[in-house]
Formats: sequence, structure tokens, C-alpha cells
Amino acid sequence: MCLDDQILNTYVDGELEEPWKSQVEEHLSYCNSCRKRCESLKELSERVKDAALSQSEIDTRKDRVMSVLEKNYLNKKKGLFRNRIFKFTFPQMAIGTAAAFVIVFVGSFALGSRSGKSDIIPVPEIGYTVDINNITPVRASDNATTAKSLESYSLDEILKNLDARGYDVDIRLKSIQPVTFEPVVETTTTDVEPAEVVDPVEPVVEPVVEPVVE
Amino acid sequence: MEIRSGDEKTFRHVYDENFSVMMKIAYHITYNTDVAEDICQDAFIRFYDKNMYFPSSDDAKFWLIRVTKNLAINYVKRKAREAASIEKIKKAPVSGNPFSDGASELLLHESRQAVRKAVAELPEIFRTVIVLREYGDLDYKQIAKVLNISESNVKVRVHRARKELEVLLGREDVDVS
Repeated sequence: MCLDDQILNTYVDGELEEPWKSQVEEHLSYCNSCRKRCESLKELSERVKDAALSQSEIDTRKDRVMSVLEKNYLNKKKGLFRNRIFKFTFPQMAIGTAAAFVIVFVGSFALGSRSGKSDIIPVPEIGYTVDINNITPVRASDNATTAKSLESYSLDEILKNLDARGYDVDIRLKSIQPVTFEPVVETTTTDVEPAEVVDPVEPVVEPVVEPVVE
Repeated sequence: MEIRSGDEKTFRHVYDENFSVMMKIAYHITYNTDVAEDICQDAFIRFYDKNMYFPSSDDAKFWLIRVTKNLAINYVKRKAREAASIEKIKKAPVSGNPFSDGASELLLHESRQAVRKAVAELPEIFRTVIVLREYGDLDYKQIAKVLNISESNVKVRVHRARKELEVLLGREDVDVS
């Protein structure tokens, strides 16, 4: 009875134990077909091993990976904050808690006493030098009573004012013949109009009385 | 020897001992050297950061191999979901210059490519076992520990994986000739 492939593979891999190993070797010594089969399985294994990645390739990668690890991990001090385990004994915890209370208490007292004096919100102060001559006092009420917009004056008042300042103002209405103004002071507009307007309808007719000469 | 993974001196020692094996395992599962490098780096960062205790250097080694294997398998699964990864393996350049020694080198290169392609085509449970056995150089007992399965299960998987490889490589040889 010949050997099956599984036993031969185990034998080829050197994994077959005694007494089976000796029995297989004995069989192989006289069975040509099993010996051939065994040889071909060995060849297959060798062939697969031969296709391994070359050592030179491995060595370059090995150096490269190591330099990355050295740069990012090994040369850094062990124990990043997240990895560090904090252990406290009871007295340490008690002292720590007490210290925290003291800080909070004192802190709140300091703040409270300051804000108790006035309701002013503390604002950081800014220091700067002031030249008293440069200060011009300005009050919002300064011009409040006198300040009027132009609309609050009548045309009359405006003209009066301008006239008083020595301006000669000429006012025209669109598509209406020019009107000349007399100084406003003397007459009101209603009085002036009939006197001033020259009636254009009445033509000045020159009398043609010439024939009498001869 | 007891291992504290966050200890720098110990870490360097473990790194020197295991980097090659991890790189091989990561590479032969992903078949991408850059990805394999990232996986190894990731595994070592986890190892160092967690500051774990291991009763022996073997336990540390198995932990690292397990993490490497899992990261690599995760990558392959993600990749498989995204695109046909085997096409990329076909085109991926083999490390080093394969043609430096002429014809025999060329044949060796082709043989390697065929093997890598075949390994990549194995179902995950067989691939892991073969990679750990042939590239991780672990014995059955160690493989069982890493994969958390029984030794007899490892035996069966190795047998089936080789059977499948034979078929895949036989098909490949026919294709080539």
C-alpha cells in the first residue's frame, strides 16, 4: 500500500514523527512511484520558497521603516499624555481637593469684594497723555435751539437775510418771464406787482403825423 | 526571555529578529512591496504603542506575525473588492533586475512570477498556511498557534494548498509552453 500526499507533505516538511517517519523512509526506499511523488512535492515546496522576496529588497525596507519609527516613536520620550496612567494615594487626593477649594473660595472672595463697591463693570484702563489746550468742549445742546433746517425759513426770510448780507438774488420761475425784484425791504410783493409789471398787451403806438410838414 | 514591547532596547531586538519574516509574509499575501512595508510599519507601531507583555520572544513573534497576516489579508480583501488584483500582480515588476544574468535568470524570473501568481490565486485559508510555512518559515505547531487552529488542521490545509498550487502551476506551465 502506497503513501498518500498528506503523509508525504508532512514528511517533506519534516513534521512526521516517529515511528511513522521511519516507516515512510522504509517505504520510500523500495517504492519508486512514492519516491517520485515525494521528490515532486519537495520540488514544489522549493520552487515556492525560491519565489520569496529578495533579501536586498527586505533590507532596504527594514532600514527605512526603522528610520521612520526612530523619528516618530523611539526618540520621543515614552509616555504621551494619553498613555500615562495617573495614580494618586489618598492623602494626595485629599490635599489636592483641599487646595482646589481654597483657590475657588479665595478667588470668589476677591472678585466679590471688588464688585460689591460699585455696579460699574471693571474695564481695563488705557493710559495716554492729554494736552489740555487741544480740548474743545462740545455740547450737544449748543445749537439745539438755534439750529433750524433751511425748510423752516420762508422764502421772504431767506431773501431778507441774503439781502442783509449784501447778496443780489435773482429768482425765476420756469417757463415764465423773468421778474425783477425791488429791494424787499421797501414793499411787499403784493404791492409791487401791479406797479412794476409793464403791460405788454398795450402797444406803444407812435402817432404817424408827418404829412403836415409841406 | 520576557518581552515588554514598549521598551526601546527590547523593541529594537524584536524588530531585528522579525522584520524579514513579517515583510515576506506581508509581501506574499499582498504581492506589493510598498504595501507590505506599510503593513510592517503599522504592525511595529502597534506593537510599540501598546506596551504589551509577552512571556517569551516567540509569543511576541507570533503576535507580530498574526497582526501582519491580518493586516495583509484585510488589504487583499479590500483590494479584491475594488478591482481585479491578479491583473496587477501579473504586471507588477519583480524586485531587482531579473535580466542581469541572462537566460537562466530570465527563466527563474518567469518561474517566480508563475509561483507568485499561483499563490495569489489560492483561497485565503490555503494561502495563509502556505505563506506562513514557506515564507514565514514556521512549523505546523507555530502556524497552528498563529492561526488559532489545530495542528492536524494545519496539516490538512498544507496538503490541500499544495495540491491546488500544483494544479495552478501545471496550468501555468501549459500556458507558457
